[in-house]
Amino acid sequence: MGEKGSGSILQFAPFQSSVDEGFWHRLSSLKLNKLGIDDSPIPITGFYAPCSYSQVSNYLTVITESLPSDSDEQSSMAVISHGSRNRCSVPGILYNTNTLESFHAIDKLSLLKKEAKKIWEDIHSGEAVDDSRVLSRFLLISFADLKKWSFRYWFAFPALVLDPPATLVDLRPASKWFSLQEAESVSAACNEWRNSRLTADVPFFLVSIAADSQATIRHLKDWEACQGDGQKLLFGFYDPCHLQNNPGWPLRNFLALIFSRWNIKSVRFLCYKENRGYADMGLSLVGKALITVPQGWKENRRVPDAVGWELNNKGRTVSRSIILAKSMDPTMLAVSAA
Amino acid sequence: MVLSQKLHEAFKGTVERITGPRTVSAFREKGVLSVSEFILAGDNLVSKCPTWSWEAGEPSRRKSYLPPEKQFLITRNVPCLRRAASIEEEYESAGGEILVDNEDNDGWLATHGKPKDKCEEDDNLPSMESLEISKKSTVVSISNHFGGEDEEDIPDMEGYDEPECLIETDPATLQSTYLVAHEPDDDNILRTRTYDVSITYDKYYQTPRVWLTGYDESRMLLQPEHVLEDVSQDHARKTVTIEDHPHLPGKHASIHPCRHGAVMKKIIDVLVSRGVEPEVYKYLFLFLKFVASVIPTIEYDYTMDFDLGSSSS
Repeated sequence: MGEKGSGSILQFAPFQSSVDEGFWHRLSSLKLNKLGIDDSPIPITGFYAPCSYSQVSNYLTVITESLPSDSDEQSSMAVISHGSRNRCSVPGILYNTNTLESFHAIDKLSLLKKEAKKIWEDIHSGEAVDDSRVLSRFLLISFADLKKWSFRYWFAFPALVLDPPATLVDLRPASKWFSLQEAESVSAACNEWRNSRLTADVPFFLVSIAADSQATIRHLKDWEACQGDGQKLLFGFYDPCHLQNNPGWPLRNFLALIFSRWNIKSVRFLCYKENRGYADMGLSLVGKALITVPQGWKENRRVPDAVGWELNNKGRTVSRSIILAKSMDPTMLAVSAA
Repeated sequence: MVLSQKLHEAFKGTVERITGPRTVSAFREKGVLSVSEFILAGDNLVSKCPTWSWEAGEPSRRKSYLPPEKQFLITRNVPCLRRAASIEEEYESAGGEILVDNEDNDGWLATHGKPKDKCEEDDNLPSMESLEISKKSTVVSISNHFGGEDEEDIPDMEGYDEPECLIETDPATLQSTYLVAHEPDDDNILRTRTYDVSITYDKYYQTPRVWLTGYDESRMLLQPEHVLEDVSQDHARKTVTIEDHPHLPGKHASIHPCRHGAVMKKIIDVLVSRGVEPEVYKYLFLFLKFVASVIPTIEYDYTMDFDLGSSSS
């Protein structure tokens, strides 16, 4: 906790994935009933929420509804999943291969670059300002072995690399950076933002604090409107990470946006976190990042490098697998039902 | 599943099909909920404890007597820092008998302080027999057909490590043991798990029913047998069973609802005897407080410090 010395590299805690069993069930039925050997990429939806317990980070989760339904009955489900405070949707893409060999043969670097390019283009077109969820675009590759009911998969959370990396000059609990009055006002404004169906799942936002300590949360597209009235302005985001010394992954592409779009090199950010569903300024962090990349970095023509293949808990980049024969294999189900 | 449990499930399913859902309130008399009372109590839970949400679940499993978008309640990614099994070992070695730390000596909590006695009364409840898992086997690893990345699978995975293209040397990625969640300094710690806790409406027992989906530290699915390590051990062998979730695929651990109505009735009676008017929309708070005795280390939110009665809002 507390402040970091000036000039340390700003390090981000990687995003972590979680897959509901229902996701694999629906993928299997899609594969069997609809897709066959068609292995074209499928748009999917992931969900995350701000960290809501001080001991564990939140995950980017894919669930049954992340995939399109295999029946053509267009359910109302897709509509419901929006506006939910505990399920902020993030666009993703799934590459499901037909064989284990093709899973391993996937050119992971170029796939990651391809997704990073979309993020980069959305930053430059302004799409990312209008719909900030695209900043957290993710990628999932998988191989579903429907004979053994085993699934091999790997997530990537593409992040545009600032080179040289941003430096962190200050990071502390929000309650220690804001005055008491400001902290109360920011909490109230954030709770209101999170309770409104219109904004509950908008994960990037502006916090502006007027001279009388009153805080307002605004959409990114209101950035111009926030200028010039002498307010404190912070760039806020839903931080899934529980750590007190590092901001979470979504800040990476947000910084790239802030620098590319508004040419801000000294960024005051708010890592928004909750305790049991309510804004918690003790867990939330306020930090200041200095961006030192050359001016040419933000030019559209060259997409920056990207990183983001998920690491396992030993810090290695490897794929994961899960075997669901016990709940999916008709033979085993028949045995257990006998 | 054992045969008697199967038979009971078949019986229960038939009864559910041919009887309509409860529409008349019997909250005070029997401790049960009608469907509309369940929705009312669920709405209140979601508004007071926003980590809970209503979900629609699998469209194919939708119950027609519940609104399509309010099929069940769920709270995801709830931390569970310690195994209930290991905590009980501490209690036992200290000579303790009561499993749940009852910090407030309120009479109403004491009514269910030792639910094991109640459960033992009902020898012939079918689902009780389904989990003849010895204490030993709940603590050691059970061979894993179901779960994800178990120990045997790891060497396999590392065989597929593809260093040629995926050494991402990025100084801005936090490389340390970021995945290791904060854990208390304690010898008896296994690992931080997380749970998705869901509440469905059980039409047969006319009570809410709690389901647990567990994940290990890497957020890989735990097989339900391992979930029993996080259940108070008296319940793990009796009231917690592994069954099909009504709205989600797969097998999940569930607290069997056969005694829920009776326990809730006792809690309500105690409230009444203390001059507190029990209000049905607060049912799930009372219910979740009682459920905490079954899963004492799963830190889901049920707002401990709410008002029990109608004396204030």
